[in-house]
Amino acid sequence: MDRQDRQDRQDRQDRQDRQGWYDGLDRHDGPARPGWRIHGMSVEGYRHRRENIPCQDAWHSAVVGPPDAAVVVLAVADGAGSRPHSGQGARFAVQLATTHFGQRAEARPQTAQEVHELLLDAFVDVREEFVSRTEGDPDDFAATLTVVVLAPTWLGHLSVGDGFVVVRSGAEGGERHFHLLPQPDAVSEYSNETVFLTSTDAEHWVHTECVRDDGIDGVLLSTDGLTQAALSRPPGRPRGANASFASAVLRSLDSPGPDPHADDRALAELLRSDRLTAFNADDKTLLRAVRA
Amino acid sequence: MRHNRARNRTVRTEYADIEFENNAQRLPLVLCLDTSSSMSGPPIQTLNEALREWARELHDDVSLSHSVDVAVVTFGQQGVSTWQGSRQLPPQSPDSPFVPAHAFRPPLLFAEGVTLMTEALELAMWIVSARKTELRRSGLQYYRPQICLVTDGLPTDGTGHPTDNWKRVVPVLAAEQQARHFRLYAIGVGGITPRGEEVLQAFAPKFNARLNGFPFRQLLQMMSASATAEQKGAGDEVFEKIFSQFKTQRPAWES
Repeated sequence: MDRQDRQDRQDRQDRQDRQGWYDGLDRHDGPARPGWRIHGMSVEGYRHRRENIPCQDAWHSAVVGPPDAAVVVLAVADGAGSRPHSGQGARFAVQLATTHFGQRAEARPQTAQEVHELLLDAFVDVREEFVSRTEGDPDDFAATLTVVVLAPTWLGHLSVGDGFVVVRSGAEGGERHFHLLPQPDAVSEYSNETVFLTSTDAEHWVHTECVRDDGIDGVLLSTDGLTQAALSRPPGRPRGANASFASAVLRSLDSPGPDPHADDRALAELLRSDRLTAFNADDKTLLRAVRA
Repeated sequence: MRHNRARNRTVRTEYADIEFENNAQRLPLVLCLDTSSSMSGPPIQTLNEALREWARELHDDVSLSHSVDVAVVTFGQQGVSTWQGSRQLPPQSPDSPFVPAHAFRPPLLFAEGVTLMTEALELAMWIVSARKTELRRSGLQYYRPQICLVTDGLPTDGTGHPTDNWKRVVPVLAAEQQARHFRLYAIGVGGITPRGEEVLQAFAPKFNARLNGFPFRQLLQMMSASATAEQKGAGDEVFEKIFSQFKTQRPAWES
């Protein structure tokens, strides 16, 4: 590639970025409900940006129930790169998730067992509706799905695929603690192979978790595009949260700046930065919730 | 201002203090190259030029430059050798031949000697396996490795006589590819004979090709395209399509 080609490519990309700066971002400041401040963002990864392919990640949130016992449902999904309608699938999956998990959460489970059952039942609801409403081959819409339900006395987590959740809870010596919630087992030795909502045996790969911890005051959900940035895996130790990353992105939602657009731009710059691209060229999604 | 920010893709102060570990997903890529005497003259010059240009392209790709790890295995002069970028490693060296693409400097290759293709492939498989062990030990995630074998001849023994010893590696390669331990591309160039082609077909039943001339540039670009597809989690059909396009584009390069 000669210099002119390179310049042309850079110019094209810059134009694309400028056009996409506001319109291309899937962003939203959550409803002003008491309890949690919510913010989500998906940005297209380096590969999709270079090839002018829209983002195939999606996120969605919903607040259900009465104000004094509101339940927040958070969902992120990553459309399979190899499938033709996976971006649409991801958007559909997160919307179905907030609907069905929200409906099921109204049952107000009392025990951890009931929470697990609720999560699995909601997953089956999502999967059934997803399969019945995706015309043609549901696999063409394949997407991972990671859901968190924030109820007054429990946190429920369900994941199929390689999305992940980090929670902030507790502190020691002024340093906040961050915990990676357990993830489903890896299906293959390769990092780009995973299970999707539509996979035939998806229900066997689903992981559910019920956490009871009043100290949780920050949650972040992400698709695998941020795995290397947001998670840490010291040699010989299990994978955990990269406290530095979780701390910074939750802090910026704890104390938002005066201009929400400026906050969005700063976060989008982080997600699109060369530093993060070098780790992972996938689309990136960050859905955060902090106690307001 | 926005224009400049977009161009630089730097991170503003708010997030500038985030500490990241050096844990990018890795994609091991082995070039297993025939540098036997039949490659001397223009073919080896073309190969050296193509490697230099490919290294530049890899450096320019923000993603590939930080995820692809390149190792070079040659078979020709001094038997079978591994190269850590431009440095030829001594036999039995404990050093890994893999170099991150952003730091990859291609070797300057000379064509001489015999075609120990079987031994070179065995060495390529061994370094891929060792690299995976190393990555797992470091807690790093990785993509399916790629091995690209390029030759213009038939496997020989150490004295330069054709040998059937390559047959011993066929079932091993079949099992390894079946287990998805790596993707193997086997490419014949120059004056490779039908017999040589048969060997490559046995090695890589789906991903083999015979190219007229020495279109190393296109070949290396195909490897980058394959690496990119791997990063995107593409299905096997995408790799077959990339390879098929690569093969069918030949006439354009050959004319």
